[in-house]
Amino acid sequence: MSHSKKAKIFNKNEDKVNWHDKALWFVREKRDVAANKVKGWEHLRDYASGIKANVLSNLDNYLVEFESNAIKNGIKVHWASNAEEHNTIVHKILQKHNAKNIVKSKSMLTEECHLNPYLEAQGIEVVDTDLGEYIVQIAKEAPSHIVLPAIHKTKEEVDELFQEHLGTTPSNGNPEYLTNEARKHLRSKFLNADAAITGVNFAVAETGGFVVCTNEGNADMGAHLAKVHIACMGIEKIIPKEEHLGIFLCLLARSATGQPITTYSSHFNKPIEGNEMHIVIVDNGRTEQLNREDFRSSLHCIRCGACMNTCPIYRRSGGHSYDATIPGPIGSILSPGKDLKKHSSLPFASTLCGSCTNVCPVKINIHEQLYKWRQIVVKDVKQPFVKKVVLKITGWLMARPKLFNLLGKSGRFILKYAPRFVVYSKLNAWGNARELPKIEKQNFNQWYKNRNKNG
Amino acid sequence: MKVGLFIPCYINQLYPNVAIATLELLEKLNVDVYYPLNQTCCGQPLGNSGYESDAKGACQLFVENFKEYDVVVGPSGSCVHHIVEHFDLLPQTEEVKKIRNNTFELCEFIVKVLGKKIEGASFPHKVGLHKSCHGLRGLKLGSCSEKVEPYFSIEEDLLNEVEGLELMSLNRKDECCGFGGTFSVFEEAISVKMGKDKIQDHLDNGVEIITGADHSCLMHLEGLINRNKQPIKVMHIAEILNSSL
Amino acid sequence: MGREAILNSIKKNKPELVNIPKIDIQLFDEEIDLVETFKNNVQLVGGSIAEINQINNLDSEIKKLYPNAKNIVTHIPESNLGTIEITNETTPHSLKNVDLTIIKGEFGISENGAVWISEDQFPIRVLPFITNDLVILLQKESLCLHMYNAYKKIFDRRRTFGLFISGPSKTADIEQCLVIGAQGAMNLTVILV
Repeated sequence: MSHSKKAKIFNKNEDKVNWHDKALWFVREKRDVAANKVKGWEHLRDYASGIKANVLSNLDNYLVEFESNAIKNGIKVHWASNAEEHNTIVHKILQKHNAKNIVKSKSMLTEECHLNPYLEAQGIEVVDTDLGEYIVQIAKEAPSHIVLPAIHKTKEEVDELFQEHLGTTPSNGNPEYLTNEARKHLRSKFLNADAAITGVNFAVAETGGFVVCTNEGNADMGAHLAKVHIACMGIEKIIPKEEHLGIFLCLLARSATGQPITTYSSHFNKPIEGNEMHIVIVDNGRTEQLNREDFRSSLHCIRCGACMNTCPIYRRSGGHSYDATIPGPIGSILSPGKDLKKHSSLPFASTLCGSCTNVCPVKINIHEQLYKWRQIVVKDVKQPFVKKVVLKITGWLMARPKLFNLLGKSGRFILKYAPRFVVYSKLNAWGNARELPKIEKQNFNQWYKNRNKNG
Repeated sequence: MKVGLFIPCYINQLYPNVAIATLELLEKLNVDVYYPLNQTCCGQPLGNSGYESDAKGACQLFVENFKEYDVVVGPSGSCVHHIVEHFDLLPQTEEVKKIRNNTFELCEFIVKVLGKKIEGASFPHKVGLHKSCHGLRGLKLGSCSEKVEPYFSIEEDLLNEVEGLELMSLNRKDECCGFGGTFSVFEEAISVKMGKDKIQDHLDNGVEIITGADHSCLMHLEGLINRNKQPIKVMHIAEILNSSL
Repeated sequence: MGREAILNSIKKNKPELVNIPKIDIQLFDEEIDLVETFKNNVQLVGGSIAEINQINNLDSEIKKLYPNAKNIVTHIPESNLGTIEITNETTPHSLKNVDLTIIKGEFGISENGAVWISEDQFPIRVLPFITNDLVILLQKESLCLHMYNAYKKIFDRRRTFGLFISGPSKTADIEQCLVIGAQGAMNLTVILV
């Protein structure tokens, strides 16, 4: 189903749309306050963008450097070309340790690879331990936002879910009570986990170490209690030097939630004595995107979610309307590279207002890439015949001023004199909720000619 | 300086008064302005729909129409933005480059090129400014709320020169109105919701007249206002700057 | 399969080398009161601040702040409140009932209220997360302005495990309502000396 259809369904409940819009706008405003407190914010963005551009231009060398440093520190490094390879690698590691109970902290990559259903089919329990992810997991839904996975759920809905799955008492959606109940439940999961899976926010070529950022402490609770820690990362998570974290960590949390930094920014360099630490480096379409000059910089993304919070369409259509692992503006430029046909409506789910480009901490020109994807979608994905023909004829007419003006005049005549039920028919999507402009007696061309004649 | 007046197709057909106000305003400012009659469209609707290559003819015609002028001025930020940003699809001849470098949105032209103030305009009303995205973020008619930069607004500066005009501030200073060209019909539900929210922001802040430098956004808002019979009007900024007692 | 395929694909598809930007740290310099800014930021992120004039007052201050703590891990010589001994051999899971942990912070960062702590200060990695409450003792002189300074400070460290910690664990995953106390420590006090 296209974005517009899903968005229309989401908009049937206007109160919920208002609630969703306000919740995310609140985050956007917190981000503004945080950014304005930082001296040199725009310089930070320039540097972050410049570092990422350097990374992409030297990615193979950085990955090899990262690998060799990580191995020196006792970390085991794996490479996966695609989602299937990634899932197989993770499964093999778990099998080796006979691991049946897994705790996982937030990782959009494992969402992208559909790791949970894969492992569950092998009889392995995977518990998502980020509270938002835990909520969508028990609701059997996908995250609707990359930083706030359950932002589409009201507290009352969470209350009901917890009653069903955790046996909590009804609390009218008391967030403190519900969070504490989840804490108790997840504690037992952490204490009994055989292995922990985490994502990676940044991997440092120079040191072979990686950084994981959370507010809840769930990645650390998992990774330090279980015997095995598997960290999964896309190839683009590499940064050259550790000091560059000084730039990225200034930007990440402020852009994401308006906090100056996440509660925990954990630097993993060596496994605990006697434990194992694995890193799985995943391509899954990224090198293809690297080849697309116009869309390459989409790989700068540090997954802060700021473009979602600012996007007036995302806020009013909800993350699920994008039907993609990464929703919102950034998802709309990443997803077409993975499956153009399936995601062909996403580049059109934008007014090209450019707010996403302005908030992006790594300066991805998101709205310009949306425009460019549109040109490709139209060429490569079969378009509705009528739309295609109408637009082609329009283009032809636009190059022929006499005909174009004649048609303009006739159009005005029709709009002025046709009965209302003809003008506001079902075919006129403009007119469902909007009036058409009132038609004046003459257009500007006519007025100008008359004036010159008389003057 | 010979100035070519660029009147976007929808303004020509649907909002002749906006075009008239633009012309009169430029004439009041002693600009040597001409209106080439063979204008059609800048090609923006096709480009934004993904049919950019089908708009080449329109773009070429635009260049033909305006190549003899030193400067091109139009009362529509998004159309001007399209010429500046997206005429890269034409071979970049000297003529094309000259046009891309010398096409200006009306307010931008008055402030940046002419360096003139508005004198004698009077409009005793509470006005809300709709900062259209392509003008704001594309042409930089003002600072954007997302960026950490010194505050400025070309449009506000001009409006503040109008006697009696009270500029009201909004809760969301530069949120998109949801027009977005063909977006308004292909994503109708969201487009309408965004427009409704935008109007509500103006109403909540006591605005009587919504103005802006891009009448396509205003057309969308006006369509909603008229359907819902709301106590608020839209006017193009040229109409306000050209108004007198 | 994976490794060579990925590296070859990158070689084929990557753009020409783009130089790495040279960072001018002066762009971020600010004349601010490091201690005051740090204190404000710790509170902003949900943490508490206490100040002591001399280190001898540490234990009495902690007792005042956490009068009910019974199972206490102390990993600094300046405090004698510890009731649980830990070594490198301690099983991390055995720390599940720790009420309070007292450790030393290596340095703090004014711009975000974060403190760098590393495995050098706590032999069991899970300790600062699994403990119910956490106290970090920090020297005022150790404060630096921003993250970029911070990475200069830790460049020569023994790289095993370390982290910037900023306030207690928290979540806003239920309707954007901020709740202090998620999966990690419920409470954090930085004691400045």
